[in-house]
Amino acid sequence: GPEELALLERLLGLPKGNKYGVQGERKVPVLQTNNGPGLTGLMTIAAHLVKQAKKDQLLGSTTEEKAVVQQWLEYRVTRVDGGSSKEDTRLILKDLNIHLEDKVYLAGNVFTLADILMYYGLHHVMVDLTVQEKEKYLNVSRWFNHIQHYPGVRQHLANVIFIKNRLYTNAH
Amino acid sequence: MGFGDLKSAAGLRVLNDFLADRSYIEGYVPSQADIAVFEALAAPPPADLFHALRWYNHIKSYEKQKASLPGVKKALGKYGPADVEDTTGAATDSKDDDDIDLFGSDDEEESEEAKKLREERLAQYESKKSKKPAVVAKSSILLDVKPWDDETDMAKLEECVRSIQADGLVWGSSKLVPVGYGIKKLQIQCVVEDDKVGTDMLEERITAFEDYVQSMDVAAFNKI
Repeated sequence: GPEELALLERLLGLPKGNKYGVQGERKVPVLQTNNGPGLTGLMTIAAHLVKQAKKDQLLGSTTEEKAVVQQWLEYRVTRVDGGSSKEDTRLILKDLNIHLEDKVYLAGNVFTLADILMYYGLHHVMVDLTVQEKEKYLNVSRWFNHIQHYPGVRQHLANVIFIKNRLYTNAH
Repeated sequence: MGFGDLKSAAGLRVLNDFLADRSYIEGYVPSQADIAVFEALAAPPPADLFHALRWYNHIKSYEKQKASLPGVKKALGKYGPADVEDTTGAATDSKDDDDIDLFGSDDEEESEEAKKLREERLAQYESKKSKKPAVVAKSSILLDVKPWDDETDMAKLEECVRSIQADGLVWGSSKLVPVGYGIKKLQIQCVVEDDKVGTDMLEERITAFEDYVQSMDVAAFNKI
């Protein structure tokens, strides 16, 4: 919601001053603009901020990258924010673990807005995972640990510990 | 440190294991460390070593910028897991040098491998025999691990400390001791082999968990 957008603003190096509100039961964030009806929706506002900060590469450079970024932004809003049962979470972690097996970032080799918003969206999930679960979703853990160390991303959020000496060696 | 022989399947497996929970050879950004290891590989890792392959493809995408990546290229033995040696590009393949048959008659047709294996086993036996009487020096150390404040999750702090594994280190019992203002310190016992584990190393690894651990002290140190 709005708190996340504030974190994003700081990460992008934007000056403060944007006014955010929330709308409806699902608390969809709204950015009030001076002239016009206002922007609604996390993805929309986030993309707008990225362009404002002139960091368009965070939305992807090639056509494919842009599409992949959009795919994961949509996933974040529909699956991660939408579902919250244990089963939903398990499926999300499973999906991501498969996707991240051969990629360093969600879009492949480049850091994008997809990584940023997925990090913020999943933080509350990762914070509560047990050591075994972090081991089970090894690729997600690797990716999450990487993103939380990316300059400017974590800010005041808790650092999630990933134990480097794996408890179950040769299990894979 | 090192990955063994990076031109062999075994070396690639060490690399794969190392990269399972890491995006880069060192730290969280691509650097000359990644280039050094990348250039040591003869070819892309096979598909079943998917962590190494992921890393390989990622570093390949930085090919054009490789000169400008941070850091300094070091010898391969400076990277990778601490308990493995680098043997990449060992100049002579020792198998080829076995033309002196020290332990058998000339008539015996023995394959190079069987010969090497036998010699290795004999050498191991000799070294075991000579080592037997040696007594391993051990110490029992009691450590005080202090958290930042009374809100630090002591269970997680203990988990982190116990996760530290090393050859010659065995964790013992522990307890929480109140030190005032609601803050508790973790007092934990361990037994170490003196020439394998030192308090410096323990302090380094324990204080690395900087989100939980404020400091570590040796409360007691007894020779066993």
